[in-house]
Amino acid sequence: MIALDELQGFARDGLARLRRRSDVEAAELFVAANEQLIARLNYTSDIPCNGVHEPKSSTSFGVGVLAVFRAGTERRLGFGSEVGSLTPDGLDRAVTKAARNAVLDPDFHSLPQPPSEAPRLVDYHDPQVMALDDETLVDLGWQALSGAVLTYKDAGFTQTLIVNGDVTVLRERMAIVSTTGIDVADESTILMATITSMIEREQVKGTGWSLATHLAKFTPRDAGAQAAQSAINTIGGVRLPSGGYAAVLGRQAVTELVSNLLVPSLSLDVVDAKASPFCGRLGERVASPCLSLYDDGALPGEIASKKVTCEGLPTGRTDLIEEGRLVGFLADHYTSQKLRSPVREFAPRNGFRFNNGRDFRRRATVFPTNVVVCGHNEAPPEALLAGIERGVYVGRLWYTYPIHGLGPGDFTGTIVGDSYLIEGGKLSRPVKPNTLRVNDNFLRLFNDIVGISRERHATLVWGSEESVLAPEIAVGSLALESIAQFLA
Amino acid sequence: MLERSALRLEVIDELKERLSQFVRDFAARRPGCAYADVRLEVRETRYGAAEDGKAKECGDDAEMSFGVRVLAGAGGREGMVAPGYFGQALGGGSLDALQEVLAEGLRHAYERAIANARRKQEAERLFGSLSNSLHSTTLARVEVCRDSVVFPWREDPRGIPSEQMLREAVEATKCAAGLSPRVLSSHAAVASGLIRELFVSSEGACIDQTYPLTRGFFYVVAAGSGAPEAHYDTLGDLKGYEVLRGENVAGTDFLHFAQSLTEETLELAQAPPLPADLGEAVVVTDPHYNALLVHEIVGHPVEADRALKMETGYAGRTWLYGGLRQNMLGQRVASELVSAYSDPALQGFGHYAYDAEGVKARRVVHIDRGIFTGFMNSRESAAIMGTEPNGSMRATDPVYVPLVRMTNTVFAGGERDPHSILREVEEGYYLAGHRIPSISESRENFRITARKVYKIERGELTTLYRNGGISADSKDYLMSIDAVGNDFKVYPIPNCGKGQPMQTMRVGNGGPTMRGRARLAGGAH
Repeated sequence: MIALDELQGFARDGLARLRRRSDVEAAELFVAANEQLIARLNYTSDIPCNGVHEPKSSTSFGVGVLAVFRAGTERRLGFGSEVGSLTPDGLDRAVTKAARNAVLDPDFHSLPQPPSEAPRLVDYHDPQVMALDDETLVDLGWQALSGAVLTYKDAGFTQTLIVNGDVTVLRERMAIVSTTGIDVADESTILMATITSMIEREQVKGTGWSLATHLAKFTPRDAGAQAAQSAINTIGGVRLPSGGYAAVLGRQAVTELVSNLLVPSLSLDVVDAKASPFCGRLGERVASPCLSLYDDGALPGEIASKKVTCEGLPTGRTDLIEEGRLVGFLADHYTSQKLRSPVREFAPRNGFRFNNGRDFRRRATVFPTNVVVCGHNEAPPEALLAGIERGVYVGRLWYTYPIHGLGPGDFTGTIVGDSYLIEGGKLSRPVKPNTLRVNDNFLRLFNDIVGISRERHATLVWGSEESVLAPEIAVGSLALESIAQFLA
Repeated sequence: MLERSALRLEVIDELKERLSQFVRDFAARRPGCAYADVRLEVRETRYGAAEDGKAKECGDDAEMSFGVRVLAGAGGREGMVAPGYFGQALGGGSLDALQEVLAEGLRHAYERAIANARRKQEAERLFGSLSNSLHSTTLARVEVCRDSVVFPWREDPRGIPSEQMLREAVEATKCAAGLSPRVLSSHAAVASGLIRELFVSSEGACIDQTYPLTRGFFYVVAAGSGAPEAHYDTLGDLKGYEVLRGENVAGTDFLHFAQSLTEETLELAQAPPLPADLGEAVVVTDPHYNALLVHEIVGHPVEADRALKMETGYAGRTWLYGGLRQNMLGQRVASELVSAYSDPALQGFGHYAYDAEGVKARRVVHIDRGIFTGFMNSRESAAIMGTEPNGSMRATDPVYVPLVRMTNTVFAGGERDPHSILREVEEGYYLAGHRIPSISESRENFRITARKVYKIERGELTTLYRNGGISADSKDYLMSIDAVGNDFKVYPIPNCGKGQPMQTMRVGNGGPTMRGRARLAGGAH
C-alpha cells in the first residue's frame, strides 16, 4: 500500500499546483489508497465445497479534486478524479475533468473551513494489519471456518452443515488538503468476521461475529464457534401463530432496524429529499423516552471510528435522539450548509466517501459511523425478559425494509434465526427460523420501547457501512405473521 | 492541452492478444497452476444530475479495472486445487505499467490459491470426516471461444455532450415542480456510455465485447393527505442515447417518463392507504409489478450459487434445492400456465453474448409449464451439480469476483388479452407497478408492494389505494395463477444486490399480466 507520507506529499504538491491556476477560486484534494481483503467462506458437509471459497481483494488509489472555478461572474463547482496515478499528469487529468464537469449549483456555499477543535482520535490503526500478507488472509478465513466445523465435530453433528460468511480486512489511508487551510491525513484498519451457520436438516441457523481494529484482538475462530453453537442451541424450534407479541429484540435485530430504518431517516440528505418521516420534527418526541441514539466516529477501539471525516473535519459525537426527542441529524458539510438557518445548524461530522474504503472517486455524502443505541434506566438483559409472560426473543431479522418508503414507517422482514419463545420471563424454546414475518411500523415500534439492556456490542448487517453498538431492546408489542406453512 | 481523457475503449485493441498470451504464459510457468483468467474492462461514460430544477453534477469520464482468478494447488492430497482472486481499479495513467500491475495481481491470486489449497489439505487432519466434502476446485469444461462482439447503438453516447444530459435532468425536475405545488422534491440522473469487456484465460479464451448502456433515473416526492408519497423509477437498456428519446419499454422520452411518474405520485399522495389486512383475494398484477415478482420469487431462487449454499450468510438460499438428492428439479412448483426463463439474448439490462467466465450466453428455462427445470449456473457450480455451464456469471465491476446473476429473467408471455383477464374478476385487486420487496431467506415467502393498488369490482377498476401490496408463500402463489396475458414486457432493474462485498447489478426482468390469489398487505397499524 502507498505510504501515508506519500499520499500527503502528493496532496500538498497538488494543492500548490492548483493554487497557480487563475481560474480556480477554491479547491480540495482528497488522495486515498484502499485495500479490502476478504476470505469468503462456503463450507457444506454434504455438497462439494472449497471451505474458504474466495480469498480475494480489491485495491484502488488515486485523487479526487473538488474545485470552485471562476467563469465570468459565476462560480461553478466541479469534481474530477483520476485512478491509479499519483503524478502531476494524473492530477492535471483530475483537474481537467473537474473543470469540464463544473456546474452552477446554487446550493453550494463553500468548502469546509479548518476546524477549531483537534481530532480526538489519533494513531489508532494497526501496522500489523497494514502489512498483512496473502497467507495470513487465507489463514484468518480458515480460523473462522475451523471454529464452526470443530464445534460441530465436538458436538457430534456431521450432516447438512453449512458454514458461510466472511473475514473482511479493510485498510485505508487518506490525505486531504484544501485552499481553506485543511491539511490532514488519516489511516485506519478494520477486521470483521461475520459468520452464519446452519444445520439444514434441523432448520436452524446461528450467527457469530468478531469486530476489531487490531489483529491481536480479532477472534475469527470464536465467531465461527459462536455461529455453530447458536445454531445448535436453536434445534427443536416451534412455530408460533400470527399475532401481537411482547418482544425482546436481540442485537442483530436492533441493528437491522437501526441501519435500515432509523439511520436513513436521521440522515440530513434524506431530510433534504423530503423522504424522512422526521422532516420538520426537530425538537419533537419521536420515540419512547427510554431511547437515546447518537453517532460517534471517534470512539476508541470501534471499527467505524476515524480521525477525520472525508471532508477533513474531526469526527465526534452527534446526538440524534435524546430520551425520545429528536435532537439532530447526521450531516455532511454540503447538506449542512444547504439546510442551515439562523436558528439551526448541523455539525458536519459525517461527510464520508465510503465505498469499500474511502473512495476518492466520489464526493463526500452522509454516512453514519458508530451508531450508539442507549437508554434511560438501562437494565440487565434478564430484567428485559422478566416482565414478559409470553413473548418472542427476536435474535435475527432478514431483509427488513420500509415497505412503503420511509415516510409512513411501515416495515416488514422475516425472523431467520437465533430466536426464542419467552415464557414466564425466561427463554423457553427456540422459534423455528423462516416461519414468522414481522409486519409493523417502526415509528410505532420505537415509541413502544419498554426497556433497554445495559450491555452493548458492536454489530453489523450485510451491506451497511456503519457499526451499531446495539443493546437488547424490549418492546410492548410486535406484529408477527405465521408464514411458510409448508416448512414442517 | 491534455486530452479529455487518456483512456479510451480502443486501448483493448492493443492489449488483447498480448494479454491473452501473458495469462497463458503465467499459468504455464507457475508450479501447480491449473487455471488463470483475467477480466479487464474500460468504460466511457457521460452523465448529468439535477435536483429540484438545479444542476448538481455532470461529467465525462473513462475508467478501467481488472480482476484475476487463479486455481492452483501445492501438491499433497492428489489434485487438491483451490481458488485465489485479485482485483484493482486503474486509470489512464496506469497504461504504461499495465503488464506489471497485472503480473502483481496474478501473483497475489496465485499465492492465495496456493495457501488456500494447503489449508484445505490440512483440514483433512483437523476436521476428520467433516473434511470429506472439501473438494479440489473444478471447472466444468466449456467450448474455448475467441470472439469479438459489438452490440449496436444508434446514438453514440460519446457524441452527446454531458451538458446536454445535465440540461435534460434539470428540465425533468423543473417539469415535475411545475406540475403542482404539492411536489416537494425531485431528483433526476441520466447517464450513457460504452463499455468494453475483455476476457482472457489460460485455456486460450479471448473474448472482447463492447456494448452501450444508457439509463435515466427519476425520484419524486409529493405531499398529500398523509405522509409524503415518494416514488422512483428507471428507464434503461443496452442501447445508445436513443433509450432516453423513447426507445425503451415505456415508449416515452425521459421528460415524459418523469412527468408521468410525477403525475402518478401526485394522484397517489391523495389516495387512501390500503387497509392493513384485507385477507386473501384475487389479484391481477401488471407486467411492471411482475418484473419485480419474477426477480424475487423465480430469478433469485434459480441461482445455482444459492442452491449450493454459497449465499447463506448474505442473499440467502433457495427453497428449490435442499441438496444434491433432495430438491425440486422435475417437480411442479407452479400452475401449468406458468413458464419462466432467463435469456441474455433478449434486449434488456441482462443482454450479453458471453458471461464473465467466457461461456456463451444462452436461454435457461427454469419453469416449464409449472415444472421446475433448472438453475442459472457457473462453471464451478455446474461441475458440482453435474450439468452444463449456461453462461450466467457476471460481476458489477471486474475488481469483484463474478456471481451467478439473473440475465433477462422473465415469466413467459401467455395468450390472454390482459383486459379480459381483468374483466373476468368479480371482486379483487389490480396491482400496477412494483415498489419495494421483502423476501424470506430461501425465497419461500414474499411481501412486495405495488406503486398503485386498485379495487376491481365487476371487472372494472374502482378505488385507487396507495401503500399496498401482496404477501404469499411463493409456491402457493405460483400455483394459484389462472391467467397469463399476451402483453409481455422486459423492464430494467438497476440495483440487484448480492455477494460480499455487495455487488449492485443491472438485470432485466419482466413478464405479462397475470392473475392469482394472495393476501393483500396494506399499511401496518
